[in-house]
Amino acid sequence: MEVYLPLLAQGLAIGVLTGILYVLVALGLTLIYGILHIVNFAHGEIYMLGAMAVLYLHVVAGLPLVPTLAVIVVLALLLGLAIERGIFRVLRGQWLQLVVASVGISLVIQSIGWIAFGIQEKSVPSYLPGIVDLFGIRLPRERLLAAGVAVVLVAALYWLVYRTRVGLAMRAIEEDEETARMLGVNANRVASLSVALGFVLAAVAGAFVAPVYSLNPGMGLEPILMSFLIIIVGGLGSITGTVLAGLLVGVIQSVGAILFGSEAAYGLVFVVMIAVLVARPAGLLGRV
Amino acid sequence: MKTAALVLLLLALVALPPLAEPYMLHVAIVVLMNAVYAEALYVIMRMGYLSFGHAGYIAVGAYTSALLATKLGVSVWLGFLAGGTAAALLAWLLGMVTLKLRGIYFSLSVFAFAEVVNAVFRAFDFFGGPAGIAGVPRPMFFGARLNTHLGFYYVVLGAAVISLGFLYRLAATRFGFTLLALRTRDTEGLAESVGIDAARYKTLAFVVSCFFCGLMGAIHGHYLRFVSPFVFTFFFSTDLVIFNMVGGLGSFWGPLAGAVLLTALGEQLFAAGYYKSLVYAVVLLVVILALPGGLIQLPRLREAWAARRLRWAKQPVVTTER
Amino acid sequence: MTRPHRILTLFAVVALSVVLGLPPSAHAQKPLKMGAIVPVSGPAAAFGLGVQRGMEFAAEDIGVFTVGSDKYKLEVVTYDTVYDPGKTVAAMNRAVYNDGVKYGVIIGAGVHPPILPIIRETGFLDLAFAAAGRQITNGENPTVFRIMASSDQLYQTHLQPIIERLNVKRVATLGPNDELGKNDAKVVRVQVEAMKAKGVQLVAEEYYERGAKDFGPALLRLIAHKPDFIETDGSPTGSIALIAKQARELGFTGYFLNSTAVLEAKAISDIAGKAGDNIIALRIWAKPPTQLYAQLADRHQKKYGEAAPGTMWEAYAATKWVADVIQKTGTFDTKKVADALAQSTYPDHPFGPASWGGEKTYGAKRQIILPIPAAILKDGKWEPFDVRTGKFD
Repeated sequence: MEVYLPLLAQGLAIGVLTGILYVLVALGLTLIYGILHIVNFAHGEIYMLGAMAVLYLHVVAGLPLVPTLAVIVVLALLLGLAIERGIFRVLRGQWLQLVVASVGISLVIQSIGWIAFGIQEKSVPSYLPGIVDLFGIRLPRERLLAAGVAVVLVAALYWLVYRTRVGLAMRAIEEDEETARMLGVNANRVASLSVALGFVLAAVAGAFVAPVYSLNPGMGLEPILMSFLIIIVGGLGSITGTVLAGLLVGVIQSVGAILFGSEAAYGLVFVVMIAVLVARPAGLLGRV
Repeated sequence: MKTAALVLLLLALVALPPLAEPYMLHVAIVVLMNAVYAEALYVIMRMGYLSFGHAGYIAVGAYTSALLATKLGVSVWLGFLAGGTAAALLAWLLGMVTLKLRGIYFSLSVFAFAEVVNAVFRAFDFFGGPAGIAGVPRPMFFGARLNTHLGFYYVVLGAAVISLGFLYRLAATRFGFTLLALRTRDTEGLAESVGIDAARYKTLAFVVSCFFCGLMGAIHGHYLRFVSPFVFTFFFSTDLVIFNMVGGLGSFWGPLAGAVLLTALGEQLFAAGYYKSLVYAVVLLVVILALPGGLIQLPRLREAWAARRLRWAKQPVVTTER
Repeated sequence: MTRPHRILTLFAVVALSVVLGLPPSAHAQKPLKMGAIVPVSGPAAAFGLGVQRGMEFAAEDIGVFTVGSDKYKLEVVTYDTVYDPGKTVAAMNRAVYNDGVKYGVIIGAGVHPPILPIIRETGFLDLAFAAAGRQITNGENPTVFRIMASSDQLYQTHLQPIIERLNVKRVATLGPNDELGKNDAKVVRVQVEAMKAKGVQLVAEEYYERGAKDFGPALLRLIAHKPDFIETDGSPTGSIALIAKQARELGFTGYFLNSTAVLEAKAISDIAGKAGDNIIALRIWAKPPTQLYAQLADRHQKKYGEAAPGTMWEAYAATKWVADVIQKTGTFDTKKVADALAQSTYPDHPFGPASWGGEKTYGAKRQIILPIPAAILKDGKWEPFDVRTGKFD
């Protein structure tokens, strides 16, 4: 297989952009998992709901983009609070039940989605159509937009977790819950907030990735597998790890596919994940 | 009383089928297979390991037997054993790597393995590629091929009784109890401190679990007379987990009950489409939230709730993996 | 929990299951049941729903008919297979053994192998919607009829004329990494090799995981060989639109070809935008070929509020055709009906006059021969490109 330099360069660019998209999608999962150690399988379905919300509010009903996003944020917040209160809180401490319950939640949302939204493939028109040509490398504008949103959200998450009191409370709870509680941190509020924010991040990711691909109620499955892969490789509790892992996976997939073919690349990503798990069980940047 | 009940059940399972129509036999076969799969998974779920990848080992068993029968003309009975052995061997090899991981890491690593297995079966024509292998033969019995539902039912029944019997007794041995001791990271540490080689027990449990998966998987393949990468999927693995959770992890009978009930329920919802998965999911959530010990815990529900409320007061917000 | 309690509970659960599992007894003889053994949930649901709805329309239109001295009415019973082999086996078992169904439409090449033994043993008349060729349509399966154009037939009929007409020389294929995709690629390869003398060559062959949304890397590999025609094998609606969009983003300016049934012009043009131009789709009618076709399309739109999936018309026609043959032969014996069916023709098919063929290629006359259209997408609208009757000996 002839390998041209411009081909690899384009492949690398695609890989980096795709990787940033993965990071955008994985952020919500990282937050919830990082703080509460809860495996939120419903993450992919919230992402799907975010995309569907853009379709029905913005495209079908004509609501402008900014108010649509505002509505999505509020709805995701409420849904997150409800699920944390109603389900996660009840099952505190029972790791197995929590995981399986979140699988149940995801199945419920997905089934309702198929019934409510129908089976036809749908789409959201590009917010920013067109290509940017950078030294012969072609970059679609809508992906650049999503990447931009990702960067902003990563920065915002960093600021929240490392520079605010709320973030301090979250980190305290995660590190040593008993002591944090003794020092007056309201653990329940931290839990609610973490889940709610995680849901908001998932929904917003869905809203911005929606125009890039097509929509159907089953679209949440792949993001959640990818997101898990990424936070496992990157390391539990590390935002930097998630970012690095996302980029790494995106690039491996893309360059790997160019060099060895798509099928091999698909398997390669899993192999890499297993390799990381074996060599560094806590992930690349995780703390045990 | 307990033995009398079991004997009665067994008699029914042996004597009634000749009177049943082929569809009922089909349902019975699927129920028996699912029961064995669920109980095989239970061996490691008791240990606190959640596997979303058991379908991979089932697939290995099915393919091994199918390949031996179609390419080398090996007797199907030997194929069953070979399927179980192949799955067990693979479990032993991979166990060395995956069992070191706990919690969600373990779950994802076995899931990854199952995906790789399916990808390999899909990629190479030796395994039939995406089309799979058709024309997998039924076993021969005294010169006749067991092509009818009734004939094969007895094969499945025999295998299921032996497997379930073995797994049941296993739970009651010292080995079985030791597995309980390995349920969480802490108790595992405690066990090791009294001299129990946790790694060896875990590996053995994993091997046993996967042997029965492979064995029943081989039988499954010969029942369908077909194997393909699309039969043993991630959703199949998830179903097995759901059988365990709905039935209850407190005793051997839990996963059995879960498998039997949900398989029967699934058959009834044959036309329901998406409503079927909705029902499954809602049942799962209701059981997890309202019936802490699963269905098997129903007679003692009030105590279970009280116990949970007591425990809950001391629960941390941050849930550690086992 | 004490032991007797546990056993009792287990018994209760098992008893409950037995009761739940007991299917309702078979109906009386007046309804003639036809099974829709198709996926109505899961990713392939669109195919299945099209079949189900087409069959139901046919049942309405046939109404009450007479066979021998009794009156019958067609009843469509749906068995969801979710396109899973295990569930298809369960569906067949239930349909054939419990509900006494002897006729039906079954979707899926990937799910047929495990049910062929049942079909052979019981003589079930299978109107198959399955792209695979000889595996299903052959001398050993006299009651299996393929009611859609097979991949072989599609490409044998249209590929060479299209390539010649567009004057393209460098063909590449990109398809899903499963049976449908690999099969189609094989057929295309054969067709293109036959055109070597005219300077046409196959320059690249790539696969992707079914359900993938990012084709960038695969397309890059493909585009490196500078094709001017990308054949997308068995890619589904969502995929072909994304393939076109992403290929254009990478600078590809040529044509695309697709042959999968469930293509909706609107869905493709929405997802792909301008990038969808120059997609050529086989089996899409840009203009209704018959009045019946247009009527059925309207009827579906009115009843379900969305455009009909591509499988609807063929399922409608097959149902009516079989009912016709049953009436003429005056028997429900599936082997006799199968023989009569194979010899008959059906002028009222919504696509145009239909008959059966395939004796030479498959060893059995069980492949439907129909007019097959090709349409090209321009500015979000499908325009007619070509129509040929499938040639199939």
